[in-house]
Amino acid sequence: MKKTVGWLALLAFTVVARAQDIKIPPDVERLSAKAKETVEVTMDGPMLRWASKFLSADDPEEKKCAQLVANLKGIYVRSFEFDDENAYTPAEVDALRSQMRGPGWSRVVGVRSQNQDNVDVFFKLENDKMAGIVVIAAEPKELTFVSIVGPLDVDQLADLGGEFGIPKLDAKSLSKTQKGDHK
Amino acid sequence: MNFDKDTNRMEEALKNAFRRREAPEGFADRVLSRVTERSSDKPMVLRHQSWLRLFSQPLVRWAAATGVCAALVAGGIYYRNVQREHAEGEAAKQQLVLALRIAGSKLQLAKSKVQQVNADHIPADQTESQEEKE
Repeated sequence: MKKTVGWLALLAFTVVARAQDIKIPPDVERLSAKAKETVEVTMDGPMLRWASKFLSADDPEEKKCAQLVANLKGIYVRSFEFDDENAYTPAEVDALRSQMRGPGWSRVVGVRSQNQDNVDVFFKLENDKMAGIVVIAAEPKELTFVSIVGPLDVDQLADLGGEFGIPKLDAKSLSKTQKGDHK
Repeated sequence: MNFDKDTNRMEEALKNAFRRREAPEGFADRVLSRVTERSSDKPMVLRHQSWLRLFSQPLVRWAAATGVCAALVAGGIYYRNVQREHAEGEAAKQQLVLALRIAGSKLQLAKSKVQQVNADHIPADQTESQEEKE
């Protein structure tokens, strides 16, 4: 009996520990009911490893992608596209942002514009190394949440630069972006 | 008299028949080669017969048929599993690429916004510094 309780406690701890990496509030998950189009991608470590096996080594883009994914622990994407504006509330976006208020997280980009194109980029640092990145893009008819968990460094991100339209990020641009926090 | 004549003829015929004749040239070689050919064929035929004789028993026939069917079914299941796994893998790869595309496009959006903000600030900074100089 004690053993069973122990195992259950361990299982619960594992679930909570994993959930700490990525926890999408239920309100946000419910947005898919209102959305015209929803993209949900949930890929944890083993799934990433498995999916990356199917990336072609002959294709240079896919090869780079496989190298990047090899060190990642998870990729989580929620993207909702709505017919009308104001389909989501600022509170729902704040609930997402609040996930990154914990220790280790730092906001490197925070853009607030009058036409409601708001973008936040958060980096998680562990021992001065990138351990994750979260992007929250709140546009009038679209809300996107991207979380990439794992040991990422700027070079790896820069390698992704030309691939799939991901921009190159360098230390200089990051320092500028912090200054350019536009609210 | 006639009887004597007949016996003489018969004797002549027998003598002719049993007269020693030389064998045609190469006869012995031909005979030997045929003998060796037959001796090498015979065990193979026997071996085939003994192997096939196993299938004369109905139980063995059924067992063999069942084995072949099981192998075919197992092969089919394995092939189907491989195909399904491949399809699932391709779908997972597409998801991964989609996730990276979305992440990339949103990072691009963030970068363009920041560049826009920086571009808006630079002229203002320059004018401020010019005013200070004056």
